[in-house]
Amino acid sequence: MAKSTAGSNRQGGKNQGDLPKFSREICERLLVDLEKAKRPILYATKCSLDNSFYNHKVGYLTPGEKKVATELNVSSVKKMSRAIFFLEILLRNIETGGVNTKRELYYIAKGEVKHNSILKPLDFADQDESDSVIDFICELFECYREDFNCYANDRGGQTYSQHLVVHETMPDGEKATVDLSKLGTTPFQPKNRPQNLKLSAKKKIDFALVVESEGTANTLVANGFTKRHNSILIGAGGVPSNAVRGWCKLLQDQLRVPLYFFGDLDAYTMQNIYRTLKAGSAASLIRNQDYSAPEVRFLGVLPEDIKKYQLPDYAVKENDAQEVRALKKAQDALKNDPFFQDKKNKGVTEVLHWLLKNKRRCEQQAFFSVDPRDPLMPEKIIVEKIKRGNYI
Amino acid sequence: MAKDSKASAKITTSSTAEYFSKNLQQVGFSSQVKAVLTTLKEAVDNALDACEEHNILPEIELWVEKMGSGTLKGSDKIRIKVLDNGPGIDGDDIPKVFGEYLASSKFGRGRCSRGQQGIGISAATTWAQLTNATGAKVISKTKAMRKAVSGTVEVDIKNNRGNMKDRETIDWDRPHGTSVEFTIDGRIQLNGEAGLLNYLNGTVLVNPHLTLHYNLPTGTGEEGGKAMERTTVERVASELPQIPEATEPHPHTMKLGEFIAHSHLFGRTKVGAWLKKGFSRVNEGTIKELVAAGIKKGVFEKNVDQLDDAEFKDLYTKIQNIPLMAPSTKSVLMIGEEALAKSIQRLGAVDFFSVVSRKPTICDFKPVEVEVAIARLQERGGESDNPVQVLRFANRVPLQFDKAACAIVQAIQTVNWRAYGLGQPKESLPLGPYIVAVSVVSPFIKFKNASKETVDASEELVEEIRRTLIQAGQRLSKYIKKEFRANELEEKRRYIEQFGPILVEGLCRITKAGDSRKKKASDGLMKILGRDADAAETALELAQAKLGGGKSSASAEVSDTDPIDVEAVAEDAGVDLKRASKKDAKSKKTAPAKVAAAAAKKPKIILPKKSAEA
Repeated sequence: MAKSTAGSNRQGGKNQGDLPKFSREICERLLVDLEKAKRPILYATKCSLDNSFYNHKVGYLTPGEKKVATELNVSSVKKMSRAIFFLEILLRNIETGGVNTKRELYYIAKGEVKHNSILKPLDFADQDESDSVIDFICELFECYREDFNCYANDRGGQTYSQHLVVHETMPDGEKATVDLSKLGTTPFQPKNRPQNLKLSAKKKIDFALVVESEGTANTLVANGFTKRHNSILIGAGGVPSNAVRGWCKLLQDQLRVPLYFFGDLDAYTMQNIYRTLKAGSAASLIRNQDYSAPEVRFLGVLPEDIKKYQLPDYAVKENDAQEVRALKKAQDALKNDPFFQDKKNKGVTEVLHWLLKNKRRCEQQAFFSVDPRDPLMPEKIIVEKIKRGNYI
Repeated sequence: MAKDSKASAKITTSSTAEYFSKNLQQVGFSSQVKAVLTTLKEAVDNALDACEEHNILPEIELWVEKMGSGTLKGSDKIRIKVLDNGPGIDGDDIPKVFGEYLASSKFGRGRCSRGQQGIGISAATTWAQLTNATGAKVISKTKAMRKAVSGTVEVDIKNNRGNMKDRETIDWDRPHGTSVEFTIDGRIQLNGEAGLLNYLNGTVLVNPHLTLHYNLPTGTGEEGGKAMERTTVERVASELPQIPEATEPHPHTMKLGEFIAHSHLFGRTKVGAWLKKGFSRVNEGTIKELVAAGIKKGVFEKNVDQLDDAEFKDLYTKIQNIPLMAPSTKSVLMIGEEALAKSIQRLGAVDFFSVVSRKPTICDFKPVEVEVAIARLQERGGESDNPVQVLRFANRVPLQFDKAACAIVQAIQTVNWRAYGLGQPKESLPLGPYIVAVSVVSPFIKFKNASKETVDASEELVEEIRRTLIQAGQRLSKYIKKEFRANELEEKRRYIEQFGPILVEGLCRITKAGDSRKKKASDGLMKILGRDADAAETALELAQAKLGGGKSSASAEVSDTDPIDVEAVAEDAGVDLKRASKKDAKSKKTAPAKVAAAAAKKPKIILPKKSAEA
């Protein structure tokens, strides 16, 4: 049986310029197979936990050998026709420098169908259908949809600093420079493909702090955190978006500053937020290389902080479906997630064990209870923890 | 105690007619719509019962017509006329039949006749009299009469007697038969569950031997009330259903009151003889057991009218404790799968159907026979999200009200129809353009109310109906599966035709390939996908083969009549399944639909060998 695969040579591919060439290669292979009346098969990396590997030297989850094969048959001919149809639209965008969201692409596809009756069978009933075709193409090419100029409206990642300067080259070649110290109380927000940005520091930056709650990050800045410390402060806004993940990776690689994560002490934060930021996710195996910051450390809230600062904590509600699910997921993670099984991550694993055993949780804002009349107390604790190396 | 002047008011007795005239809602006259339906139903039931009693193939013509406004607020004046070819009624009996309550030839006879007590038609006469001051206009002629008797029967409500006014003899161009006409207040509802058409369809379905002509208004609006349309449904069975002999009641199926009432039919007969002759499954051995249980021998020598209530009670209690054989199932009437299969096609064009007649069995100590017919109607093709249409029958009489509490509906809801390819919300009726007809026949059907609208849902009866439905569902699923395969094949072919060119052209544009490569790739693609279509074709053939071999999988309890043979029909109609599907992919008409259409035009029933030879 003939094999057509973009395959491993695209792993971690960053060069958008390669895509038209690779597209032609894949299409050529498909065409040759068809000419020989051979059934072409397209292989895509299987993006799931059972195909995830973790090596602390690499630092993020990487895909194994498992592939999802899509063989051309009567059942898949519609999917493949749609993929080739969409590929043409995406290649046109690369060629012209056009940029679109998934929803816009859905309407562009509908427009093409509207103006060409032969394409009518391809029509998309809803955006889910066109989204799945875009995802299929990305899996096939092992690339990010951003490589095809398909951008999401990324949320989170509001960044404050008195010393960070961002340099951007626009698609038309024009250059832009953003000095974060000049933005006042307005944060800088990374968008689209932050990996393309260039960073510099006006003065040596000591650390970058990623705070789970954007509100708390804003409070710290308003109270003068970035004025008192040569730092970068980022509000993650819950589960980090692609932009936040790519941005943190950029800070880590270009500025070589230590990165700390400060968030709630609960199973959800450990697995869904911190793990994703540090090592990526199973769903994005093919892009974790650019969308994870392996050097980020977990600053807290740590279980010992509860005792040390007498933080108010509370029991996991047994009747709260979300909390119970998070605990169950934590149990599974300890068994099956290669990130938590790695000895290098023993500290994080122990926190998970502690959470499962004690069934208690503590929020990041609990630091405001230590001295309710001192608005700077949370900042003092954070800085003290960093200084003393009280993180994992 | 001092008597209050009011309390000392005379205690009077009322006649049966008086009771029913005040309580007509109990016997089906509780609404305007029901009044029309009940009147029609009673007249048709009587006609059918009379024909069957006298071995006459029934041919009935009926008219339901709006004549203007009724006397009751918001009602219409409705004329209902039913004309049959039955044996006719002797002139002297006409007032009894139409004007006297509880004057019945069928009361307590343990037969599966439609009517039982002799209430319904007299109630209709009463309703006509109360709302339009005129009774039932009757014309009747027996074979022996040279001229027909005509007159208007009215109920003498005070004395429960029927009086015939304007009696005359007239020439009538029929050898025998009866015509009865009521003018009542009511409202005509044609469609819906409580509609006249539903009733007529049901009656047609369970009476394959009936030829029915019905004249109904074409619309129910102000204007449409007058235009009438005549429809004829020909009989599909030329034999009358075998009416089983009446059986005596079984003592275990009676209540004490019924037991005592039963004795009144025997008068001066000795108790021993009464028990042995008047009941089924009671013999000399039973008498001995009763003696052993403590009944004095002398009691059996007394005449039944000499027994006092205490003695009756003692006898009744003891006999309940003696194990008796279950009642015979011979008294149960069957429509039969063959007749049902033919009859269901009179309801409209059907895609396919399945029918099951279970062997009579005992439920709640009463003989019961359950039959089920399920059909998919073409005209309801678009209603895949609506619940199926349920037709319920008790002793071949359609039941149209109070559906939820009925044993039949409860049984349908407990079957997992999803297993047979039908949609079904949890614990509800299945969905789709189907008719599910369930007929329960028993000489002792337990209704929930006097107007015979709902069969009481006992556990045993629900289970028996459920089993029948499951068998019918299994048969049906073979058609649905085959249809699924046919659709699958058709869809695959459609996919090849639609997506093949798009894929190849897209690839050629990206690779900038020329026309010769495009053609070569197109040919290659068609070859690859053609193999898939061949595989689907094989799957369809397998499904067809399975359908053809359906007989072997039918339960032993089921008679070996098979439902319509789709393939054979397709063949007969000159439709090649494979070609049809390919061709239809272009014409956008599905192959199964074409086959089904052919099936509807030319139904072919595979009969058991015996019947076919007969």
